[in-house]
Amino acid sequence: MPVYIDISRCIGCRSCEVACQRVHGGSGHINVHFVGDSASIPIFCHHCEEANCTIACFTGALHKEGERTAFDVEKCTGCGLCKLACPFGVVWTNKIAHKCDLCEGRDAPTCVTTCPANALTTDFELASRRARSRAARAAAQGGRK
Amino acid sequence: MIKVDASLCLGCLSCSNVCPSQNIVRTETAGKRSVHWKRCKEECDLCVEFCPAKALTLVPFDETVPEPDVSFDLVACKICGSRYATEPMLRRIESALPANVQKDSEGLEWIRVCPVCRRNIEAERATKQMVLGRSRKSP
Repeated sequence: MPVYIDISRCIGCRSCEVACQRVHGGSGHINVHFVGDSASIPIFCHHCEEANCTIACFTGALHKEGERTAFDVEKCTGCGLCKLACPFGVVWTNKIAHKCDLCEGRDAPTCVTTCPANALTTDFELASRRARSRAARAAAQGGRK
Repeated sequence: MIKVDASLCLGCLSCSNVCPSQNIVRTETAGKRSVHWKRCKEECDLCVEFCPAKALTLVPFDETVPEPDVSFDLVACKICGSRYATEPMLRRIESALPANVQKDSEGLEWIRVCPVCRRNIEAERATKQMVLGRSRKSP
């Protein structure tokens, strides 16, 4: 159940950042980036199917639990190899590693429930439906030239 | 007492993190990271157990042996130039990951790019895709 993002909905308010920091004791795992004046986009863990961070982790602290890339704080030595193995730069180390845990123990990730623009969702169907209807709308209008 | 094989050490600071008695000292300046192992008498092998490179071994205490020291020049990010990792750590990542994931779709060797720039690249790419989708122009 990873979090899907619809960038065209993101309004750059950074509410997700704040919510994530609040839930994770000050160290958040989601960063809103601003690309020129054209877009804002939250960057966070993709929970990759074959996650490089789990390959690099030598103690098994980072491991797959179903779709989730889970983290066992007890096993982490803070070596930082996971941080260097992540192609998206979304694993941090500060003595020990920290990354998105999809808000384990909560009903839904707090970034998703907080986003006022509904840009974040855990619902794959919704993400795919939105993309399809956007494509259909563009096709019906003959596309923008 | 700890014996260090400097040729194996990655400079990852795992040992320093797990040492319960602060016997492994790290110093980090802008471009350099040094690790210094004090002569310790503890009967503890946490650092040996948690060394990813198996560079450490326990040897009997000997006052005449100098305290080991290893230092690394930190590697500069290919894009922004910030010093972000030691060379042996990057080499280890390069040998651990399958070759086909070490270059991204645009041929960038992302392992040599710092995590901050990796996030920026991801943001720029996603934006490009969105703008493309909105304008419906073929790439």
